Amino acid sequence: MKKLAAALAIALALAQSAFSHTLDEYLQATLISLQKDRIDVSLRLTPGVAVFAEVFGGIDTDADRIISKTEQWDYAERVLGETSLSVDGNRLKPRLLSVDFPTVEQLKQGLGQIQIAFTADSPVGSSRRSLVFENHHQGRISAYLVNCLVPQDPHIRVIAQHRTDNQSSYQLDYMQSAADSALAAGSPTVRTWLDNFDAVPSMIRLGMRHIAEGTDHLLFLLVLLLPAPLRALRSRWIGFASARESLLQILRVVTAFTVGHSITLAFGALGVVSVPSGAVEMLIAISILVSAVHALRPVFPGREALLAGSFGLIHGLAFATSLGKLGLDPWQRGAGILGFNLGIEIMQVAVVAATMPSLILLNRTRAYSLVRIGGGVFAGLASLGWIVGGFVGVQNPMDAVLNSAARHGPWLFGALLLFSLACWALPAIRREPAGRYRTI
Amino acid sequence: MKKWLLSAACALGVPVLISLSLPAATTPTASHRIVTAANDFLSTLDATQRSKVLFAFDDAGQRARWSNLPTAMVPRGGISLAQMSPAQGKAAMALVSSALSPAGFEKVQQIMEGDEVNKAGGQNNPNRGPGPGRSAASAALFGKDLYYISILGTPSETDPWMLQFGGHHLALNITIAGERGVLTPTLTGAQPALFTVNGKIVRPLEGESDKAFALLGTLDEQQRSHAILSYRVADLVLGPGQDGKTIQPEGLKASAMTARQRAMLLELVSEWAGIIHESAAADRMAEIKAGLDETWFAWSGTTTVAPGSNLTAYYRVQGPTLVIEYAPQQLGGDPALHVHTMYRDPTNDYGRKLVAKP
Repeated sequence: MKKLAAALAIALALAQSAFSHTLDEYLQATLISLQKDRIDVSLRLTPGVAVFAEVFGGIDTDADRIISKTEQWDYAERVLGETSLSVDGNRLKPRLLSVDFPTVEQLKQGLGQIQIAFTADSPVGSSRRSLVFENHHQGRISAYLVNCLVPQDPHIRVIAQHRTDNQSSYQLDYMQSAADSALAAGSPTVRTWLDNFDAVPSMIRLGMRHIAEGTDHLLFLLVLLLPAPLRALRSRWIGFASARESLLQILRVVTAFTVGHSITLAFGALGVVSVPSGAVEMLIAISILVSAVHALRPVFPGREALLAGSFGLIHGLAFATSLGKLGLDPWQRGAGILGFNLGIEIMQVAVVAATMPSLILLNRTRAYSLVRIGGGVFAGLASLGWIVGGFVGVQNPMDAVLNSAARHGPWLFGALLLFSLACWALPAIRREPAGRYRTI
Repeated sequence: MKKWLLSAACALGVPVLISLSLPAATTPTASHRIVTAANDFLSTLDATQRSKVLFAFDDAGQRARWSNLPTAMVPRGGISLAQMSPAQGKAAMALVSSALSPAGFEKVQQIMEGDEVNKAGGQNNPNRGPGPGRSAASAALFGKDLYYISILGTPSETDPWMLQFGGHHLALNITIAGERGVLTPTLTGAQPALFTVNGKIVRPLEGESDKAFALLGTLDEQQRSHAILSYRVADLVLGPGQDGKTIQPEGLKASAMTARQRAMLLELVSEWAGIIHESAAADRMAEIKAGLDETWFAWSGTTTVAPGSNLTAYYRVQGPTLVIEYAPQQLGGDPALHVHTMYRDPTNDYGRKLVAKP
């Protein structure tokens, strides 16, 4: 009896004291450990007494006041699903390693720690990497802590850490050199000096990805190239240029675009000019609309290069914005602009190289006008969607189509080439060389 | 004349010689003093008590059995002062005192005194922190007698052994090997972190708060831009259960501090490093000083403090062999009245470097 009274007294005191000894938030502490070929993450979750009911409701899904093994793993999977781990923009697919739960009673008193460990293979990449960990689990009631353990692998070195105010988003920049590389053995000064050069290749990749994933830039470029093999007469596309002329025209357009965006990228990245990103996006949408109209009816025949150059200036501002987000120091920024631009160029050349044979082939068929008009209308709709969406603040319904198209880029180029070949091979569609100046 | 000189020399020299030889002859070495106190304490215990106090030196479970929480919530090993007779309790405190510096022992006593304020409740103490202690049941949770002592290994003047003492807001883990002593990991904390005893204001973690704030005040704009983190740190990163982990340091490096600021940083660190007895503390401070260039100072939260009160901002001092965290607790009350701190050497948890070196 005496024992029971004592236990009761303690329980009473515990109920009162809970607020003074445990957080009234859901504390979520993350430790990230960089390994040679993988990234280990451990999460330590401590629900405070004040938020216990809310957290527990999400764990004990069948409401039997018992946390079954299934519920433990389900909960861990859910937490995992509400976090994201990525390296250089590529989202990783972490695997749960272990889940450890305290008793319900401990949790209730704010003493219990839920421990979740997971791991993900680190992608093959360049030596300079950027990891981003985001945690949005129970965002309203949570306090987040994120830290990185000092890497034990001598080939891995942390460069910088950035966090949002509440630590729900965390970025870790680090260097990882190949184990057999002489780099790692070098003195710290040599390594720091070399880091700047290492920044270039990763920047090139970033530039390439920016074009490959930036559907707006791609769309602009492709639409501008659509009428390249054509000749205009009085606001109508009337004839076909030779393969050599078409090639030269394509080259002119691409070069002008490059010169344009290089200028503003350099100025923008160095902070000389800065334009609000909303305005830049709007201008880019307008540039696509203009070139889409031009593909349907020539509005500035013969001056495509000038147009490409001036719109290039606008696109360069957007590149500068994405480069500015990386938070590089001036030296890295200089190397970054160079690398980023090179990456954009490589990707542009690849896109042009992939479309050119199709365009030149199609140029020899009656199907060309179909492709030109279809492409122009599609791009015009997409840009209108962006323009209207920008004002009203709605997602462009064309985005989904565009994004999936961008993801399947190589397949689409292949399909276009097959289509061109088919058209060219069919005598009914194939156009006689004599029909060079025939109205189309 | 010669005779006069000789007698003068004797008159002056003999007392000097005596006073020089006296400390060596009568002051025992630190290890002798601590081992004697340990054996005195053990001799006061009965067999049952002794079996509860003693653990194997390498008992990893007992080593890590410490917390900031009240002992009723997280049970500690060993026996508490409440389970001892007055004579046994006195011997226990004498043992704790023998391993600490006078300032360190005073800090420990103030932390325990704060818990006694918790037990007494709020009626007679307007300065006590938010939270419990208003019912009789809080006697089961709080009070200066709810501190536990345990000994790992056999007290020896040559071989390593450990003394643990702790309870609510206190966890001393002291590894002793001859004259050397290691205090890491150790947790100090206080709630209330400000209270009055006989009209006198007591702040157990006064130096920890004031010295850090003074150091922050000397930083120029550029130094502050490095030292002050842009994000909130809600709690200790390397609290209980996080032994042996080294996080990537952040903040302002001491190599970018002036000589005066570096001295102030060392002075701040001594609040923890100086808890242990003087000779061990001197070794430890020398070690921390040697790594000072690679030591970082990071601050998160408000850069102001109410006069006479404690910081409500988090800060961290991290060096090659050092992690100190100061974390005010946000509990719907005043964080200035509830503080947790952590003192670590991730390379030397429970004195593992002492053991590795014979």
